[in-house]
This record gives sequence, C-alpha cells and structure tokens, in this order.
Amino acid sequence: MSAPTTEIRTQWTTSFTDELTTGTWRAAIPVHAYKPSPCHVACPVSNGMPGWIKAIGEGAYQQAWLSLVDTNPFPATTGRVCHHPCESECNRTVLEGAVGINGLEHFLGDQALAAGWALPPAGESTGKRVAVVGAGPAGLSCAYHLRRLGYDVTVLESREKPGGLLRYGIPEYRLTEEVVDKEIQRIVDLGVEIRTNAPVADPESLERLRGEYDAVFLAVGAQRAKRLGHLDDAGGPARVIDGLEYLRRSSAGEDLGLGQRVVVIGGGSAAIDVARTARRQGKSVTLMSLETRNIMPAQDEEVFEALEEGVTLVDGAMAASATLTEECLNLECTLVTLDTEAPVGVLRPMPVEGSGFAVEADSVIMAIGQDPDLTAFAAVPAAGGGTIQVDMASGATGLPGVFAGGDVASQYRYVSAAIGAGRRAAWGIAASLGHPSAEVLPHLDLKQAVQKEEINAFYFPPAERTEKERTGAAERLLGFAEVAKAFSVDQAAHESARCMSCGLCVECDNCFVFCPDTAIKKDADRPEHYAILEQYCKGCGLCVAECPRGAVHLEAVAR
Amino acid sequence: MIDQLKYEIEEKPVFCSGHNACPGCGEALAIRYILNTMGSNTIAVIPPSCIAIISGHQPYSSMRIPTYQTTLEASAASATGMKRSLIRQGRGDVNILVIAGDGGTYDIGIQSLSGAAERNEDMVYVCLDNEGYMNTGSQKSGSTPYLASTSSTPGGKPTEKKDIAEIMAAHRVPYVATATIGYPDDLARKVAKARDMKGMRFIVCLTPCLAGWGIPDDAAVRVSRLAVETGFFPLYEVEDGEHYTINRGHTGLPVERYLETQRRFKHLDPDQIATLQGQVEHKWALLQARTKLECEPHPEYLTR
Repeated sequence: MSAPTTEIRTQWTTSFTDELTTGTWRAAIPVHAYKPSPCHVACPVSNGMPGWIKAIGEGAYQQAWLSLVDTNPFPATTGRVCHHPCESECNRTVLEGAVGINGLEHFLGDQALAAGWALPPAGESTGKRVAVVGAGPAGLSCAYHLRRLGYDVTVLESREKPGGLLRYGIPEYRLTEEVVDKEIQRIVDLGVEIRTNAPVADPESLERLRGEYDAVFLAVGAQRAKRLGHLDDAGGPARVIDGLEYLRRSSAGEDLGLGQRVVVIGGGSAAIDVARTARRQGKSVTLMSLETRNIMPAQDEEVFEALEEGVTLVDGAMAASATLTEECLNLECTLVTLDTEAPVGVLRPMPVEGSGFAVEADSVIMAIGQDPDLTAFAAVPAAGGGTIQVDMASGATGLPGVFAGGDVASQYRYVSAAIGAGRRAAWGIAASLGHPSAEVLPHLDLKQAVQKEEINAFYFPPAERTEKERTGAAERLLGFAEVAKAFSVDQAAHESARCMSCGLCVECDNCFVFCPDTAIKKDADRPEHYAILEQYCKGCGLCVAECPRGAVHLEAVAR
Repeated sequence: MIDQLKYEIEEKPVFCSGHNACPGCGEALAIRYILNTMGSNTIAVIPPSCIAIISGHQPYSSMRIPTYQTTLEASAASATGMKRSLIRQGRGDVNILVIAGDGGTYDIGIQSLSGAAERNEDMVYVCLDNEGYMNTGSQKSGSTPYLASTSSTPGGKPTEKKDIAEIMAAHRVPYVATATIGYPDDLARKVAKARDMKGMRFIVCLTPCLAGWGIPDDAAVRVSRLAVETGFFPLYEVEDGEHYTINRGHTGLPVERYLETQRRFKHLDPDQIATLQGQVEHKWALLQARTKLECEPHPEYLTR
C-alpha cells in the first residue's frame, strides 16, 4: 500500500501586477502640452518659430513658409531687417549661441519669392469694409489679416507707391525694392485695394472715412523728423538736413550735394542707414550718438558693419553748439554721460567737463527720431509722447471705430513691431465688428515661455551657429548691392537642426523611454502623441526631467 | 547635419506596470530594460533585495517569466543548479538570469558567485548596484563609495568601494560590463550581447536609490549620467578578462558636480572632495591604461 501523497503546487503566482493600481500613490501627474518658446513670446508678430523651423528640417519649405505667414506676410523683408528679439531670448544661448532664426526666415522668405507661393486665401466675406490709412508695414499687415478674416480692405497711401518705411526708409543694400514689391504684390493678389497718392490730410477726410467704412485703421507712421534747433539755426536748410528725407531722396537716385565731410547725428538703425548710405556716395562720415556703443539702439551687427565700411564713430558725445564759417559748419562737441535718473526712454545728456572737441562738417544729417504728424487726426485722443493713444492688445483708439498702430501709436519703432501691431489691430477690429471667430489676441509674457532650466542640455550635442555670409567691406562700398546673403539649403538644414524646439514635442520618446513604471504609451492618434496610463503613473516626474525641451509638465493632483 | 539623440530600444513585454518600486526608482527602470531585452525564454533568480520586492508580493508577479526567489548568499549557486537541470532536461536554450543587489553580490553572495565564475557556469548575472543595503534601511555595503554617509556609517564610510567588475574580470569570464540607467540604449545593448553569449556573463548596473542617496524623485537618470561624466562610474566592457573597451567615461566634469546632487555626500569638506577627485582621476587613468594593454596569447595557453 502506497503512502498518501500531497500534490506540490508548481505555480505559486496567480496574477501579474498590471492588475494592480499604483496611480493612487501620486501627488502630481505629467501633462503633455504645448508651451510657448521664448522666441515665440519675444516675437512682436507672435510667430511660432519651433513649428516652422522643424518643417524646414524636414525639407517642407512651403509648409514652413505658410506657418510663418500665418502671422507675418513679410518674411523676406523681416528676414533681412528684423531686430530679432527672438534670438536674444533663444534658450540655445545656454549652449553655443542663439539659433539663427532671422537667417532661417530670410531663407524661407526667398524660397517663397523664387517659387511664387501665394498667401493663404481671403476669408469668407463678412460684407464689411475697413479703410487702412498708410501702406507701410503696419497698414499692410493689418490689411492682410483683415482680408483673411473676410473684410473688404481699402488702403489709402499718400505717396506714389506703397511700402512706407520699407520702400523709402531702408536702403537697398539692406532691403531691395524688388523684395518689397513682390511681398506687397502678394497682399494685393488677395484682393486688398491700395490707392496711392491718396493722403488723408485733414480731420474732415477722417470723418468721411468713418462714415464710409465700418472701421478705420490709422498707420501713417512717424514722418516729422526731430530737429536740434541750435544746429538748424547755425547751418540752415542747406547744411542741416533730415535723415529720412535724405534716405528717400537718395533711394530715388537724387544727389543732394552734401560736400565731402558728413556728420550724422543719432544712434538708431536709421542713423546707421544714413551713415552707410553716405559712405556709398563716397563721403567721409562721422556718426555721433549720445549713447555709447554698447547701449545704442541700433543692432550691434549694423554698427559693426558701419565701422567696417569706414564710418567714424564718436559715441557718448553731442554737438553742443555750431558756428558757420565760409567753408563749413564748425561743431563744438563734448563728451556726455546720460542721466540715469531720467525717465525711461528719455535721454538726458550731461556734458563731461573739459572734454570739448571740434568737428568740421560740410553738412549734418539728423537721424534722432521722428514724431507722427497728427494734424489730420486731431479728433483722436493722443498719448503723452506725441503719438495716438491706443489699447495695445486691440489697437483701439479713444474714437469709436478708429484703430491705430505702428509708429503713429508707439515708441517701439521696429518694422516687426509695426507688423505685429497691424495684426493685433486686425483681430481687434474684427472682434469689434462682431466677427464670429475673432477675438482680441492674448498677450504672452516671457514668464509663460519655456525657461532655460527646463532645457535638458544633455540631449543637444554641440553645433556652431551659422551666420549669414556677407560681402566684404571694400566691395560693399562700390554700390548698393545687398550685403547679407540668404542661407544655402545646407546651412538652413544645419541651423534648423540646432533649434531645440522648446515646448513643442517632436516625439523623441524620452518620456516613454525613462518611465520606470511603463506608464506612458505612445499614441499616434492623440495630438500630444502620448497617453499617460493613470492606473500606473506614480507621478515621479522623470518624464518631465528627461524631456529635452519642456513639452511635458507636472500638474498637482487634488486630494 | 546634427544628430539629436533619440533612443530606439526594442522591448519585449516581460516587465509589468503596477510593481512596488518607489516613484522614480532607478532600479525599476533598469529591470525594465534587462527583462524586456532578455525576453520570455528566461527564468529569473532573485535573492532578497529591492528587486525581490519589485518582482511582486505573492501571489502577484511583475515579471511575465518564471522567477525563483533564493537566499541572499545563493543566487549564483541556485542559478547553476537550475541551468544544469535544464540542460539535463534538454532545455538548455532557456536563459538563466540572476538579478541581485550589491549586498547579494559584493558581500553576501560573493562566494557562490566566485565559484560559479571559476567554473564558467552558463548564466547572465546582473548586479543592480545602489551602493548599500537600501532595502533594509540604507546600511553600508562593500559597494558603498568611500566617505558616503549611510545609516551604519553616518560620518562617512572609511573604506573604498570594492571594484566588482575587476574582481569578475580577474576570473577571466567571457563578459563583464558596467552600465547605468542614464544610458538605456547602452544598457539594453549590453544585456542583449550577454544574452547571446555562453558562460558566465556579468553586468554591474549603477541604479541610484532616491531614499538611500538623498535625491529627488525625478533625478535618478540625471544623477546616473553625472556618475559617468565625472568619471565616478565609467561605462566599459571586458571580454575574456583582458580585452577592455570604454564606452563612456570622464568628460572632465569635476566629481563635485556628482557629489553635490546627493545628501549622502553633503557632509564632505573640500579636502575630502579633493581626495575623491584624486581617486577618480587615478582609477580613470588605470582603466584607460588597461584598454591599451594588448598581449598576444602565448601559443601554449588555451583560452576558453
């Protein structure tokens, strides 16, 4: 008889832990969400750089360009002249230097002009009409966005051609007339009517426009040059002339007979443009600015190029008085320091004792800024600094139905700022006219952008920044040919790959790879590309820490 | 063009979610890539350790393969017996995988491991090294670094960390490698390479312990990378005890960048940090020298 046997279990495990729930442990949960990049937030036109730069990397140039012109209809223009605050804020400055965003924009802008790509079509008609006064960057940008929102737009331009400052204020070597013509033509092709030689010169004209149109956008710029009375008195109109007028007449091929020794007064981009134009006309040029070089409002690279071209810079100085002799205007100058107690935006020079020196000038060109001419807009409430008072978000003025933007309404005098103001006003106008899908555009703050600390630098191998190639100084002085060249296809590919795509997921899968709980699932059907498995996620935050670009963040879980 | 890093790691579904590891545990991440690379034709041998906890409380398992929880000193011996039995049953193709902690490897399990290595038993032995008895309250082990504070060495450990990779290499086993979770592609590649070899294959994988080292929940990966970049824990492979390949190591980053991330090194004074820097530099120089030592096999010497 055999002994009784006990069956030994061969398998002790009855279940796997994926039946269990560890999600209850967490105090926070990761969320994949787009967060604006600092370049996007810093851009006056609110351009979403990471998206179109990524598209350049994929070779999808037209798609990239369409994304770019969704906000800015002038990429070939701003690609040449924008002061690119995007690059100043670029998170890649923690590595080798900012991504060459301006160069990439220049590249795309030129690709579009070469291929003849059309802007996105006009929107479905709202049956409403808007008048835009001034065909400069602010006015044309507003017209473009209004057209896309479905409005009939008439642009009234006082000069014989549209473009405003782009055409008459920026020399050919920085921005060619051909580029300006082509980018404006694309807007005209959308059905925007531009009437040239049509000034709005008096208050009655504005009143008439208010009656004829559903809204009016004022973008006449700032045309009235600031002057220094003591120089005007000493030199008279033959020897002391205004910088914008000089640029306008020079670009029309006029010789102003300035004499050999030209002194340019001013520290902004316009002053540099004047100085470099005069150098191209063979003049000896001295540039005198109140600001020292490190704080001049002109872009650093412009100053550098001006010096390369032989402009003599006398910075931190002013012409305190002048006397006219038979041969020339004698400028009695002194070095200055700027009063740090002065209000923001006001330059209050304080002469440095005993620093006097003399400069001889055959003529002096003033480029110390302009004020708007508001004669025709007396009915529109003005702000303190000689501009029209506007709500920055919508462009609305104190006069119902009248909006304003660009230099006429702001001291932030950049081409891209004007384009941005035109865009915001278009949406503001549409919102005020009851457009079903338009709203006043929200203001973004740099604090909302992906911060440098959110970048995981480990994932970005070093790669040197690409600069635009530039013609040598000697060759530049021979004429008005463009100085900066657009990136080649290879350069654009390299530079686009340097973009860290802050805040915009590129499906690198790091969140998935580094989850110790395998609680993240790839999901191509979701716009955010990943799903968090709430049953398992313990909320450790490794996915956030290992995201190279701040495209996923933790949100606290309410208990 | 610039290569932006993107990990492409092939995984088989062996390790389950819902396991008991702490949030952000470096060891759980290592286990994911070890099991999911070894695949389902594997039996795991696990001694007491955090790994035993993570593998599941009965009757649950986080591993979709048979696992055997053995005693702390006997992992390599258990694995030896199981493999020999499988061979006897004609199932020698099944992988035997030991996953043990540093206590069960450097200290308590070293005699059975050394014996198995001497006999070149057929197994993949992975030591998940968190540099202490972290499962029982963070006491020091033979793996704890010099001067690190633990619950049993609160003023800092007075002796140096054992060099287990060199101990194993000195057994002249076919494959020894170091790895860590900050480089999951490197870890998975080494596990796959070990899986496809025969004989004793040994991998020591540095797995930061959040509680034991005093680091935040989201820091295990970053800290493990700093261990490599400062030269504290270089990644390398040794074949047949003498052919060295360095995968990643000292980038010139001062060791302080690694130490300052962890509470267990917070008490160090500048002299002590300098001493640790000196140790790192010396060991890094030694390791580099070993990669350059190439010696033609003696004609009368038969290698395995």
